[in-house]
Amino acid sequence: MKLMTHIVAGYPTLGESEQIARTLLDSGSGFLEIQIPFSDPIADGPVIAAANQIALQNGTRPRDAFILLRKLHEYAPDKKLLIMTYFNILKQYGVEKFCRDAARSNCYGLIVPDAPIDEEAHTHYLASCKKYGLHAIQIISPITPETRLKKIAQAASGFVYCVARFGVTGAQKKLPQELGGYLQRVRKSIKVALAVGFGISKRAHIAALQNKADIAVIGSQIIREYQKSGLSGVAKIITG
Amino acid sequence: MEELAFEFFHAKKDPKFRAQLKDLYNNYSGRPTPLTFCANLTKKMGGAKIYLKNEGQNLTGAHKINHCLGQALLAKRLKKKRLIAETGAGQHGLATATVAAKLGLKCTIYMGAKDYDRQRPNVFWMEQLGATVIPVHAGGQILRDAINEALRDLLTNPQDTHYLLGTVCGPHPYPVMNTYFQSIVGAEIRKQLKREGAGVPDLLIASVGGGSNAMGLFYEFLDDPDVKLIGVEAGGKGITETQKKAQHAARFQTGRTGVAEGFQSKFLQDKDGQLKETHSISAGLDYSGVGPQLAYLEEIGRVKMTYALDREVLSAYTLLAQTEGIFAALESAHAVAEVIKRAPKMKKKQSIVFNCSGRGDKDLFITAQKLDRKRFRAYLKSQL
Repeated sequence: MKLMTHIVAGYPTLGESEQIARTLLDSGSGFLEIQIPFSDPIADGPVIAAANQIALQNGTRPRDAFILLRKLHEYAPDKKLLIMTYFNILKQYGVEKFCRDAARSNCYGLIVPDAPIDEEAHTHYLASCKKYGLHAIQIISPITPETRLKKIAQAASGFVYCVARFGVTGAQKKLPQELGGYLQRVRKSIKVALAVGFGISKRAHIAALQNKADIAVIGSQIIREYQKSGLSGVAKIITG
Repeated sequence: MEELAFEFFHAKKDPKFRAQLKDLYNNYSGRPTPLTFCANLTKKMGGAKIYLKNEGQNLTGAHKINHCLGQALLAKRLKKKRLIAETGAGQHGLATATVAAKLGLKCTIYMGAKDYDRQRPNVFWMEQLGATVIPVHAGGQILRDAINEALRDLLTNPQDTHYLLGTVCGPHPYPVMNTYFQSIVGAEIRKQLKREGAGVPDLLIASVGGGSNAMGLFYEFLDDPDVKLIGVEAGGKGITETQKKAQHAARFQTGRTGVAEGFQSKFLQDKDGQLKETHSISAGLDYSGVGPQLAYLEEIGRVKMTYALDREVLSAYTLLAQTEGIFAALESAHAVAEVIKRAPKMKKKQSIVFNCSGRGDKDLFITAQKLDRKRFRAYLKSQL
């Protein structure tokens, strides 16, 4: 089981977000999501949303995330670094320019929850990702219908992000029971690797995903741990 | 969203659904609302004939109940058990809580924590109607944050919950659907003018927050090329802004096209695409985005957008009260402010209809503080 972890660039400060990222990479996280903060992060739960707000108050801008990405790539060249953000950030930066600069910063792929494949004719998001060799990570949920899964399968690249439950990001005590069946169903249509996120906060959760998925995603739990016990707490989530 | 869109397009063709909605409009909310000829204001302005569409006469005091009733009926068809909604000043939340009570649905209202504190009377009313009101502490603690929180609730409870979005914004089908439910406003106006022997109006004026009352007024007349359409945004303290906050909510003055909260439209935003905080004397217009249909209609030149400053709005509010005996909501008073600017320059045989989208009682704590501060504060103190 591989691991993907998450930071918000600029939270609690730009320097600290870099420290957290390094700790995560050192502890064995093979993938890292670097979130560019947005004023209206509708797919994020309260913990990450609040971190977005603070990162913006610190004046964090998209180019800060690109610089961070470069530094982290130099630090750990074999790790896969992704950018997570919302579509308006790309739109105002210029979608193609954004993809170019992300690629130049050695980005592996983009996760943009509000850039659905249906809007490609307007956004040119997938085309721009392709042009610059970035994986446009698709997102699916337990209520994604079969027909849509098939469409997503065609656009899937790198891996697919499977939301483990309804709702927004945030740590849960237990993973939902029906997760196994859901992932099996997804596996039938999707040929790339499956990452599972939204609600994973413990090692026991990761163990429960064994043989069902390829990548476990830990997000808001990292922020909680950092708030509680700093970098050592962050490392402990992974190393146990 | 696909499920909702599917149901909406079926329901609007279903005679049973239409009959249910009509019954609620007429026998519950009190439609049709009056179209009042403002004889005194017309005389005072000395130009075009001025008509007021009094949506404030609806149950709960504003046009919002038009789409609340429509959406709540849809929610029932979809076998949903629960309505959720965002609210700024509390008007849309109040209308949602009202229809939830009437149709036997559970109800949760999200409200930015700042709004929750400053709109205590509406929180009280909503709770009295049986709704749960949740203050949202994220972000700027205003309308936008309440929308985001309601969307999160919907993503978490998609099976039993209907999100009753309160304006012509958001993802499809909300803009189309709310426009459809609000279009009764313009449709009634056409009939009412006909009955009076008057033709189509020369000019329609509506305030524009998200755009629901404007779309309701305009929709019926979009294909009448001789009817001019004007939307009035909140000019606030003037069209100035810093990196993070605008002193107004005039998206068509300084906004740019963006994507947020599930739709593309004009937003007040900074260089990076972060949405700005806005300001208006009226909470209902205090929002950084605007309905995508209005953004389109403005782009093709069908609708002209202008703005009214807070102080112009207050004097328009007083003038309407003293000439016609009608308290307009501060949102609607933006339309009045534009009427006052336009009417004197128009010919006497021409006519203006403006949408008085809500009544002004709800603004007591704002208007009284501005217009009769000393005595009102003394009164508040005496009540403690």
